[in-house]
Amino acid sequence: MSTRSTPVEVSGFRFRLRPHRAAELSMLLFFAVAMGLPLLFLVAGSFNLSPPGKAAVYGMGNWLRAFSDNATIEALWMSFLLSAVRLVPAMAIAVLFAWLIARTDMPGGNAIEFFCWLAFFIPDFPLTLAWILLLDPNYGFLNMLARHLPFVDGPLFNPYSFWGIVWVHTSAGGIWFKVILLTPVFRRLGASLEEAARVAGADTLAMLRRVTLPLLAPMILAVAVLSFIRGLQSFNTELLLGTPAGIYVYSTRIYDYIRREPASYGEATALGSIFIVILALMLFFYWRFLSGKRKFTVVTGQGYSIARVKLGKWRSLAFAGCVFYMAVMTVLPLVFLIIGSFMRRYGFFDISSPFTLAHWQNLLSDPIFLVALKNSLIIATITTAGGILLYSAVAYLLVSRRSIAGPALEGLCWLPHVLPGILLGLGILWLFLATPLRFFFYGTVWGIAFALMLSDSPVTTQAFRAGFLQLGSDLEEAARVTGASWWYTYRRILLPLLAPIAGAVGLMNFGGALTSISTPVLLYSHQSRPLAILLLEYSVTGELERGAALGLLITAIICLMMLAGRKLGLRLSGLQ
Amino acid sequence: MRTIVTLLVLLSWGAPAMAQSKAGEKEWNALIEAAKKEGKVVVAGSPDPVMRNDIMPKFKERYGIAIELLAGRSSEITARVKTERASGIYSVDVYLAGPDTTAVALYGEKIIDPLRPLLIMPEVADGAKWKLGKIWFADPEERYAVRAFSSVATFLFINTDHVKPEEMRTAKDLLNPKWRGKISAEDPTTTGSGSNAAARFYHDLGEDFVRKLYIEQKTVRTRERRQMSDWLARGTQPICLNCREDDVRPLVKDGFKILEIFELTDMPGSINGSPWMLTMANRAPNPKAAQLFANWILSREGLGIYARGYGSVSLRTDIDETNLNAGNLPKKGVKYFDDTDWNWIVTGRHEYRQKVWQVLKGK
Repeated sequence: MSTRSTPVEVSGFRFRLRPHRAAELSMLLFFAVAMGLPLLFLVAGSFNLSPPGKAAVYGMGNWLRAFSDNATIEALWMSFLLSAVRLVPAMAIAVLFAWLIARTDMPGGNAIEFFCWLAFFIPDFPLTLAWILLLDPNYGFLNMLARHLPFVDGPLFNPYSFWGIVWVHTSAGGIWFKVILLTPVFRRLGASLEEAARVAGADTLAMLRRVTLPLLAPMILAVAVLSFIRGLQSFNTELLLGTPAGIYVYSTRIYDYIRREPASYGEATALGSIFIVILALMLFFYWRFLSGKRKFTVVTGQGYSIARVKLGKWRSLAFAGCVFYMAVMTVLPLVFLIIGSFMRRYGFFDISSPFTLAHWQNLLSDPIFLVALKNSLIIATITTAGGILLYSAVAYLLVSRRSIAGPALEGLCWLPHVLPGILLGLGILWLFLATPLRFFFYGTVWGIAFALMLSDSPVTTQAFRAGFLQLGSDLEEAARVTGASWWYTYRRILLPLLAPIAGAVGLMNFGGALTSISTPVLLYSHQSRPLAILLLEYSVTGELERGAALGLLITAIICLMMLAGRKLGLRLSGLQ
Repeated sequence: MRTIVTLLVLLSWGAPAMAQSKAGEKEWNALIEAAKKEGKVVVAGSPDPVMRNDIMPKFKERYGIAIELLAGRSSEITARVKTERASGIYSVDVYLAGPDTTAVALYGEKIIDPLRPLLIMPEVADGAKWKLGKIWFADPEERYAVRAFSSVATFLFINTDHVKPEEMRTAKDLLNPKWRGKISAEDPTTTGSGSNAAARFYHDLGEDFVRKLYIEQKTVRTRERRQMSDWLARGTQPICLNCREDDVRPLVKDGFKILEIFELTDMPGSINGSPWMLTMANRAPNPKAAQLFANWILSREGLGIYARGYGSVSLRTDIDETNLNAGNLPKKGVKYFDDTDWNWIVTGRHEYRQKVWQVLKGK
């Protein structure tokens, strides 16, 4: 972006609007409309007491009803507890995994990273069912095995409990989500500071604690905030494992209001608003931390080394630890999931001829399947490409020292993360219908892609932001001195350096676009139905096995994209 | 001479009927032509396999008109439709929705048009083809919502490896301490079949029974329908209050000893209009195709496909019922509790559900 100013004249008043400022204001306007308006519609709707189609009558009734129930407060507390309890070990494991993969000479790092991606995209609903088959107190495979032990006389495991929920979450996407986001920034970390720490006599642990982790604090904190809020909104696992044990979480309460007939979106929005308050508090502390005197720059124009930490005798042990963790937490339930897709009835091994290809055959012969597959691929491609272009630019503006609207822009980018998907979908539906966007977006693959791109904004923006924070300003300055334009610098220097991050969030968004249900559910039409909606339809009608087959197929598509994307990302970043 | 007189009498009776029949046929053929010009019909309803695998291809084969299915949960579909309509968009032609959605959202919020005058297909309009002597319009005005099915609902399921049929003769048998922790139910604290059943218990047997059944008996709750039928088959919870027949019947075929109980001595059996009620959207974008579909789905062919696929008892007289579960067929002379009765849906069940929730909150 050139620093030359463009004179602008408005009603005789002449002022200079710099391109940088113009871009920032345009972005702010775009996000205010695209993200602020849906929220405004939702909040206004939450005060409307009259039924749809009737003249609006405003009042506090929906809010009072939503919060006057003791069960809501109990559910909120349970959500906090579950989210907080699993955040600490999950962050520790994720940081360890990311560090081992990206910063050390542990063998098989690439394979383990690939597996983290695979694990992230395994659909959580069938995965939870697989854990039930393994851990159920009455028929769980592991409990049956444990009964053969001499000192065991009852079930060892019980998934229908607080700790059962925590366990399943530690195996499901949540932990891999953190690894995926952290690995590229760990990889980006230059080795010079670590080498300096070594020269100063620090051992590996001290270096990790005093140098590596503080340098990566922006991303680690961002991931922690994202994960905590994601944890509060978590739903499927709690529904399957919590309800039989009488454990209700906050998102279940919101779900109840939405599923009611007629649906009570007013109360659901009122309950959803608590996430905005939590986000505001967390962002306040996050910004305070980032705006302190700390520096997070690790890539500068003054030499950049990517040498890895040598683990010595711990190499094999680290590798074995990772493999063991993944085998227990992912491979075991994944195997059950794959087997389940070939079973006449999921988990019933004792019926006659329990295995069948029928679910796969029915899936592939479903006339809707091929159309949905095509739609999904189009939607995911648009979402991925658009997201990378848009949010890398937003992140660049956010870290720019000249930014004046940074907090407002960042706040707007965080908004989709705090709205439950179905509410975000409803807000965007209102946005489309109330504006000329409806002619292009409503009911089309473009509209779904637009909505999914908006919902990706927090993760994508924060990932790019953390990446830009790692890049020294001297890189840009050096380029400018040699006569490069802003666009040339951005394209040839900054983006290649951020390629691993772009690859990671791009794949995450691609996979998210293939699996997201709640955002497109109100926006699709017969012609634009994606695979995820087909998955929902199978779930509604209890076709669990066909759903498992479809879930695995989606995971396989993502795997293929992952292999291609990772290769491209590594090539662009010069690491291959 | 007597023969000639008889023939003349028959002709004098039959001629107007024939003329009427010809007029009806002409009107029907004109409808088909007009519908073909529209080319498609948008149906909002459940994404059930019968619709996807049988109804959609059959209708296309019969008339060359594509069904575009807007499938999903009722609450999501109605939220979407209401928002669309508030912005002047009318995208749905026909609704195949559950009784709550039909009564509360579609009829209650005037989203639908009268259907009665649109049913012109000869075999649909003919009262003799219907068990009640006419098409059953369930709404208070008897014009909007067609109820096409009436099956006896399964009251509960038991796994007879764990529960003997003679141990489950009355609803009060459910309170036997032996079954503590052995009963599963869809979560009654939210809307759905779990709270509908609980409302019925409250209505028939009172607050104390509900408290004992759901709290003291430690009835295991879930929101996932397959979990209940799996527990039933494995015997973890061998008594299931809200299992779905279409989930359980494959288990019976696989040899699991599962028994459907349709009535208990202290609670009469119930009938319902599952799987859907038929209504026609007002300002439908494809009104002729919608009318054609509405007629066809109530025909012997259309309703027959659903009755076979879903195992539901239709209200037509000309559909083969020999393949249906005998327990689902209403018995003559038996008075059933009608779970799809309009007043029960709109007021009674709603009130009892609130009472149930108060009991469960109070614990």
